[in-house]
Amino acid sequence: MAVQIVMDRTGDTRHEFDATDAKAVALAEKRFRELTGRGFRAVALGEGSSPGRVLGRFDPTVERTLFIPQLQGG
Amino acid sequence: MERVREILRALFRRVLSDHGREPPTLTDVFVEGGTGWLGPQIGVVFSNGYRAWAPLQRSDEWRNSEELAAWELPSRRRAVCREAHLIYAEVLSAHRLELRQQRRSRIAQQIERLAQSFRPRRESALFFTVGRRLFDDEGSAEAQERGMRLLKENLSPLQREQYEKHRYFEVIGGRTGRRYRIRHGRMMNIDQLDAKGRQVCGWCFFPEGHLVAGDVMLAQKLALELFEAEALEVANRF
Repeated sequence: MAVQIVMDRTGDTRHEFDATDAKAVALAEKRFRELTGRGFRAVALGEGSSPGRVLGRFDPTVERTLFIPQLQGG
Repeated sequence: MERVREILRALFRRVLSDHGREPPTLTDVFVEGGTGWLGPQIGVVFSNGYRAWAPLQRSDEWRNSEELAAWELPSRRRAVCREAHLIYAEVLSAHRLELRQQRRSRIAQQIERLAQSFRPRRESALFFTVGRRLFDDEGSAEAQERGMRLLKENLSPLQREQYEKHRYFEVIGGRTGRRYRIRHGRMMNIDQLDAKGRQVCGWCFFPEGHLVAGDVMLAQKLALELFEAEALEVANRF
């Protein structure tokens, strides 16, 4: 199962989906577009010491996608 | 003459160490030939009445007279006086430069102390009156725990070890290769380090939405590692 992790006030909200299920993938892609459209940054989380990579577009093969809200200076 | 110059420099440095804040004007130099058991000596007099003197060797006195081609005491005194004013100007200039450097260093230390003290500590009054809402953790205990779990899952083994030991971890900027230290917190918690691990400056950026500390630190880590330039563009340096 692939998972989309969205950072929020509860810590995070996880949306799991089956990458072989076309309907679930379409829903995951819709969520991806919606969140990145709102300024979230999508990151494919790496394993072990690898920091991962930024996702410019939806990739159904990524196992764990983290959505980071837009950054602001303090 | 070089020995006399050295003596004069030492006398002037002594005067400036006593009256360094308001250096007096050199008004007179006296050279006494010495009589009886008193040997020759050289002295300086200042506008504030301060006087200082030092003994001269007879050999210094002779060499001095020879170099200045001034064998009479009055002419020797005039020649030494001219030289003394030049030396005093030189020592005074070095002294002022040193004072300026000390002042700059003091200001830098004060700024550093101020920056340190501005970081609210839990026990400080500032933390409770102003900083708590800004710096304390957001969310329920459960949310905080989820955030910490997510963070720890995504730290490298070395970063995890550092965090568990020190409540901070280090990351390397993906674009510049700079070293950063992310301390536990939600804002004003990123230090840029030099090669020796000393703080160069601080950076402040965080994700929108009142997130818990674990999420904020993970967002900061990933931002510095994966999109450093964009993160620093919105960040404030302190």
